[in-house]
Order: sequence, then structure tokens, then C-alpha cells
Amino acid sequence: MSREGTGKMLGAQVRRVEDPRVLLGKTQYVDDLVLPDMLAVAFVRSPYAHAKITKIDVQAALTKPGVACVLTGKDILETIKPLRVEFDTQKVPFHKSCNWHVLTPDKVRFVGDLVAAVVATDRYTAEDAAELVEVDYEPFEAVADMESALLADAPLVHEEWGDNVMERLEAQIGEVGKAFQEADCVVSERFVTGRHMASPLETRGCVAQFDVATEALTVWSSTQVPHTLRASLATLLDLAEHRIRVISPDVGGGFGLKAHPFPEEVVVTYLARALRKPVKWIEDRREHLSASLQAKHQIVTAEMALKSDGSVLGLKARFLSDAGGYSSYPWSSAFEPKHAAGTITGPYKIPAFSFETCTVATNKASIGVYRGVGIPIAALTMERLLDMGAQKLDLDPAEIRLRNMIRKEEHPYTTLMGAEIESGSHQASLQQALDILGYDDFRAEQQKARQNGRYLGVGIGSYVEGTAHNSAVFDSFGVKIGGYESATLRIDESGKVTVFVGTHSHGQGHHTVYAQLIADTLGVALEDVAVVQGDTQATPRGWGTWASRSAVTGGGAVTSAAQKLRDKLLRIAARLTEVPADDLELVQGAVQRKTGAVRLLSIPELAHRIIAQPTSLPPDEEPGLDVTVAYEPPPITHSNATHVAALEVDIETGQVQLLRYIVVEDCGTIINPIIVNGQIQGGVAQGIGSALYEQAVYDDAGQFLTGTLMDYLIPTAADVPQVEIGHIETPSPYTLHGIKGMGEGGAIAPPAAIANAVADALSPFGVRVNEVPLTPERVLSMLDRAQTNPGTE
Amino acid sequence: MAETQFAESQTIRVRVNGQEYEREVPVRRLLADFIRHDLGLTATHLGCEHGVCGACTIIMDGESVRSCLLFAVQADGAELQTLEGLADGDDMHPLQQAFWDNHALQCGFCTSGFLMSAVDLLDKHPRPSEEEIRHGLSGNLCRCTGYANIIKAVQAVAEQSQS
Ligand code: FES
Ligand code: FES
Repeated sequence: MSREGTGKMLGAQVRRVEDPRVLLGKTQYVDDLVLPDMLAVAFVRSPYAHAKITKIDVQAALTKPGVACVLTGKDILETIKPLRVEFDTQKVPFHKSCNWHVLTPDKVRFVGDLVAAVVATDRYTAEDAAELVEVDYEPFEAVADMESALLADAPLVHEEWGDNVMERLEAQIGEVGKAFQEADCVVSERFVTGRHMASPLETRGCVAQFDVATEALTVWSSTQVPHTLRASLATLLDLAEHRIRVISPDVGGGFGLKAHPFPEEVVVTYLARALRKPVKWIEDRREHLSASLQAKHQIVTAEMALKSDGSVLGLKARFLSDAGGYSSYPWSSAFEPKHAAGTITGPYKIPAFSFETCTVATNKASIGVYRGVGIPIAALTMERLLDMGAQKLDLDPAEIRLRNMIRKEEHPYTTLMGAEIESGSHQASLQQALDILGYDDFRAEQQKARQNGRYLGVGIGSYVEGTAHNSAVFDSFGVKIGGYESATLRIDESGKVTVFVGTHSHGQGHHTVYAQLIADTLGVALEDVAVVQGDTQATPRGWGTWASRSAVTGGGAVTSAAQKLRDKLLRIAARLTEVPADDLELVQGAVQRKTGAVRLLSIPELAHRIIAQPTSLPPDEEPGLDVTVAYEPPPITHSNATHVAALEVDIETGQVQLLRYIVVEDCGTIINPIIVNGQIQGGVAQGIGSALYEQAVYDDAGQFLTGTLMDYLIPTAADVPQVEIGHIETPSPYTLHGIKGMGEGGAIAPPAAIANAVADALSPFGVRVNEVPLTPERVLSMLDRAQTNPGTE
Repeated sequence: MAETQFAESQTIRVRVNGQEYEREVPVRRLLADFIRHDLGLTATHLGCEHGVCGACTIIMDGESVRSCLLFAVQADGAELQTLEGLADGDDMHPLQQAFWDNHALQCGFCTSGFLMSAVDLLDKHPRPSEEEIRHGLSGNLCRCTGYANIIKAVQAVAEQSQS
């Protein structure tokens, strides 16, 4: 009975069903929501990186006309719990937790830290009044960078820790010492990634409303995780969870940043309840850049041991990560280096690996998850070391990779870290990417250009993207979240379908892809499927959208639910028509006899009987066509890809000009190529930002310097080339339809591929390329350094 | 919305998407806030409120402008067009249709600004090269799409109008 669907929609180039609403301007983002008597919040934030609050005078603000209240940390110390990430010490042995007060009562830990909330009739008045709140600070010396955070005399971000170390982890797998003894060649480098930010175009924001009659709270928030937010609000505010409804309306991008519950959301919800009026907070861009969550800032010191034929014998790495002032929930701000260490082997067979991760607190905004989490720097490290090894051993960069990659027939391949990479096409994707470029021709062109004083380069970045982690994997990380996903599917009397799902689409096109999967399974038209998401009252408990999980987990849940209802429809149809169920199928809105393709009865007719005339049902069948399914995916589902960047470096200006950018991606069975290609192009654009432009900058005193989009540079239409995309489809043997997740992938490899290409372009100068973003100033200083110390690489 | 202490306000008249409005506004009210909150035309979005992202782009007297960089009073007497005025009912403007056909949007937050910038671009350069489109739209940020499909969509409309 569990035959696969008709397969008509799976893989089809379907235009997105959600687009007309957006294009006609009918969306509703959180700031579009207007409620009667709604008040606005503005936050008072710390101008200091590290200081004690000695006095707060709210009088002037309070007396300003239009101001409803001013809330400080002391006011809510007893009533609102701080955010706090805690781990089971069995699973994460060395981790120190800290309290992240939703308004800090005593000490500020970064520029932008929350000091007070001002509520007024409108945002203009609230912002004016926020400036009238007088705060006296006693400034402390700040911990402004991760290496000085480790010094014995460093100021302490959290005094109770005794030092600034949030988490440490060490492991050795395989015989690393022997690998390095037996090596013909060892390469080593220190890599630094910039402090990047997801920076979605819509900032954070929320509205909370308290219903006095029912004592129920409704919170609209620009979040990727409505259920997780609801649970956090209930815990931190000590409220009954079932009295809180979280709605995530249209959301203008998230990329991981909005997969965290935030202090501001807690404060706004508290205020709505306390004031018995709706309260809105819309973050401005400076707040977003300075005080939401930053990402990916690490220093990795790594060494690779190789044989003369290019095979890698072993790897050692130390990951140092700058967590900022607090720890973000639920993964903690120490997740980034762990995930980098856990994924660094990528598509390669590495027999021995030892590593140390160390996460330190500093006086900066905290680190959160952002597209790729840890894998971009893991890939940068691995891919640069391979190129450095190839150069020393006089091998071609493509050749050294092909030699070390997991071969197709070696799947399922268990990595050193214990993950099973179920299937993949590492060598084929690399080969195809080089073919698209015309690798040999490019090398010839590069030679010619060099003679004319132009510096072209090509760089490769290959990776494996672990997606859709299941509950057991999160449990092993010590993170208390589920990896399953839930869906309720309902067929109504007219035969139309509604699916209620726990994931949240904020650009990924879930309405379309889920409708495609359901249309195939139930034999209905795409437009007969409605998708409901982002409302804790309507949908079953789900985990939202992040970590490239939705196609596998949400897709798995909606497909399983549709299969259950399909089976029920066919079972009942078999009794009614006296045709064996296995000779029946659902096609184009009807039950059809396979033999002879005879239409027997329409789905609306059958649905009507099951729902509204249940007396005609066989006695062992329940009336109704509703089903809820929780789908637990396989442990980790792995996509793979190779990126190739071809570029030119202007050695006078340090400017990097991308000439071509190629991605060959294997995410198993593709549901909708338009959407997959869109995710790749968009991910690559963010990766180009990380590689060339973006960085959140602090000065030595911890002052934040990049508070506008003129300082934090997101790539524009002039900076991002059309990505040339190739596909290979190696289905997962374990997921429904063989689907693999892929949303983050595009953003993973650009720093690796671009850094390799810049190093290749500048190889006549022997430049060490070990930092991103490769801004013009940085490229020039790398060139300078190479000219003053020739032969360092 | 009450602007309690900024009593200084002014009456303005604007035509938005063909409809006349006369409203009293505080002199410091941003044009974007006026359009979104006073007129309820929320298709115009705010991504930065400091003139960089282009999400708030509208057409004012035939020129694309960033509505977060203007005060409402500066639009007194002006003719404005926002995304709400682009389609004819539910019949999409060719650019809207092309954005749909080319998957030129993901989260949709930037889309309104891009459409209005593209309207202005094609108005001034009906036959733009790819370079001109990239340049013409480089004042609008999109964090989701990586721009390629937006450029394709604009090219498609430019080509249609030539054939
Ligand atoms: S909101 Fe006006 S340019 Fe960004
Ligand atoms: S579609 Fe999301 S910012 Fe452009």
C-alpha cells in the first residue's frame, strides 16, 4: 500500500505558489500589524563595552508626555528569569553557563547590551524618551579580542567563571603523532574568519497582546522558531505555555539569526501583560548590527601531514572562537568551533585528527548560528591546507582532492568523527565543476595574463553539508531540542487539502514544495493544497526552519501524513468499489483502477462519504480525514558540492573581481530545481560577502564601529555574478524520496574557493592568504607582507 | 498616532497611486512612516532607515526615491506611486509577472523596493544592458536571492517591450 506517489510534481520546475501575494504587496510582516491602542517600545542600550551601572534615573523620561512606563533590570530581576544555556555535563564536560538578563541589572557586557525599555504611544516618542533615561556607568577595561581574553590578567566578562573560557573540548582520533612522524610534507597555517552577520533585510521585531478576558497572550514575532519561542516565553516569564500563542507572520529572512529566542521578545511580552495593552518593538538597523547576534568569528591554527603522493595522513587543529558577552539559546555561543571541528574532514578520508576547541567570552555581541555554522571556516581551513600541500608537493589542486576524496563506492562511509555519510558524488562534482569552467583553458589564460601583468586565479572549495539532524544527534550534542518535525494533514469535504506544519518558510518556498509532495501522494492539484505554518495554535509542535532541515524533516512529515490519508482513502474505496486496494491509485482528483486506468469515484465524493456520511464506512474505519504525524529523519543527511571561483586580483588596488563562479551541487532528489538553484545563488552571495566584504568591527576598547549598512557591507547586484550551476542527484537511501537538505550549502564554500583563488592569483608573490574577508586593504597588506618577508609560504 | 510634544505639524496633500489624501502630519514624520502607518500602505518596507538598502523605494513625481530619507512634508503636493499601485487590480504589471516567472524573490522583503527601482530604471533606460541593470539596481539590497534572477526578470521585461 505504500507505493510512491505518481511522481509528476517531484522534480518539476514549478513557479512558487506563494509569490503573487508578495508581488501584489499583500504580505504581512510584523511591522505591518496595527492593533488598537498599541504602544511602542524603544530600548536603552549600553554605549560602553564593559561597565558597571551605578545609577539609572528614569524621571525625565517618565514625565515626558506620551510615555507609559520605563522598565529597568532591577524592576524585573525577580519576575523574569534570565536566558541561560545549560548542558548535561556528561555530554558537554567543560562548559560554563552565564545568565543573560533580559535587561541587565548591574553590568553591561557589550555595546548595545539592554539597560532599560521605554514604552510610549509611538516609536518616535519612545525613542526620544529613551534618550532621556540617564544612566551612570563606571567603565571597565574591555575584553576586545579572543586571544587577549585568554591572558592571565584579562578583565573578566563573567566574574563567577574565574577566567573567560566558556567551553573547551579536546579529542584525538586515530594515530596523529605517527601520522606527523611519517609525513613527507607538513603544512600549517593560522586562519581567521571575520565576525559575520546574517543581517536579514527585515530586522527583528515583535508585537505582544494580552487578552484580559481569557488571560491569553498572543505574540507575533519575526522568528524562524515559533514553538521554541513559545516554550522560552513560558519558562522565562513563568506562564502556562498553553496560554501563549506565537505567530510568526511573513518573515523577511532569517538565515539562523532568527532561530534564537531573544531578550527583547521576552521584555515586550512582559510589557503587554503588565500594561494590558498591545506593545510593538521594531528593531532599527544599528541595533540589529550591534546587538542581535553575530557569527562565525574564529581563529583556527591547523597543521596537515601529507605523503608525497598527496594523500593526507593526519590533521591537527585548534579552534579558538569569540563568543561575545553572553550565550545564545539553544545551541550556546560555543557551538561554532565544535561544529567546525566536527565537520572539518568534509568529503575527505582523513585517518587521524586531533583537535582542541576553545570558546571565550569577550565584550562584543554574542555569537549565534548563521548559515553553515562552523562549516565555512572548517572548509576554509581544509581547502587552504590542501592547496598549500599541493603547492609544496607540486601537485595540481584538483588532483590532491581527487586522491583524498571518499569514492562513490565507499559509501556509506563513516567519518573519523563517527558520522555516516550515506551517499555522495564528491569526485564527480569536482570533475563537473572543473569541466564547466574549462580548467585547462583557464590555466592557459592565466599564464598569458601573467605575462601582461594581470593576476588571474582559480580556487576550489569542496564540502559536505550535514543537514536535518535528528533528535538523537542533538541529544548527543547535549542540546535539548528535537530533530523530528510534525504535520497535520486534513482533507475536507470538498476534497481539498490543508497541511499544518511546524517548519517556517521565510523565503524557502515551503508552500510550493510541500504542495508538490502532497499533490503527488494524493493525486490532487497543486492549487488544492493549502499550507499553514507559523502559528503555535494551528500547527502541531514543530522545530521551525534552520540547518537545512525543512525539505527532509518537514517534507518527510507532510509526505508521511499524506501517505497515511492516501492509504485510508484507498482502503475505504476498495470496500466501496469492491476492487482490491492494491489495484487502486489516486490520480487527478479521483480513485482510479490501475487495470485499464478506469476512474471509479472522485476524491471529493469519497471524502464527503468519509467525513459526512460515516455510517456508510466499514465498521473498523474511523470517520474523518485528519492525521498528525511526527517524522524523525535519519541521524544526519549529507549533501555535497564543489565550488570553483575564477577571479582577477588587481595588485595596485587590492580589488578582487570575480570572473566566474561555479557550483556543482548534489542534494539527492530535487523537489523543485527553481528553488534549489535560488538557494544556491543566494547562499553564494552571502558567502561572497563573507569572503570579500563583510565584517562587524570593534576597536580596542570594544566600541562597535560598523553600525550602518555603509560599514557592514552586504554584496550588491554589482558584486555577485550569475552562478553557473550543475547538478548531480545521488539520493539518500534513508529519507523519503531520497531528498537531502541544501539551504546552507551555497554559503559554505565561497570563503574557501575565493581564498584559494586569490592565493593562486598571487602565487608569483608567495602571498599567505589566511584571513577573510579579503578586503582590498587586506589584500594589499598581504602583498606587502610577502614582499617584506619573501618565501614565507 | 498621537505625536504629543511635537505639536508642530502641517497639513499636506499627496496623490498616492492615483488617490488624493489630505492629512495633518508632524513635520518630522518620515515619508515612509506616513505611507506605511498613516495611509496603511504597508507594501513599502523599511530595511535600514538610513538610505542604504533601498527597501523603501517609491516613485515620487516620476523619480525613484528612498522614502526613509524624506519627511512626509517634503512630499506635499507630490504624486507618489507605491507597489500597491503597480498592478491593475490583480492583473500584474509585466515586472511583477517577470519576477514571478523568474523566481526573483525569496522572503519578499526587498521585492517592493526592487520593483519600484526597476520601474524607474526601465522608464529611463528601456533597453538596458546587463551592466546597466546591475548598476541601476545596485542601490537595492537583497539578502536572499543573490540578484541573478532579479536581473533576469528585468531583462525579460526589457526584451518583451522591444519585441
Ligand atoms: S529603508 Fe530606506 S534605504 Fe533602507
Ligand atoms: S528576497 Fe529576501 S531580501 Fe530579497
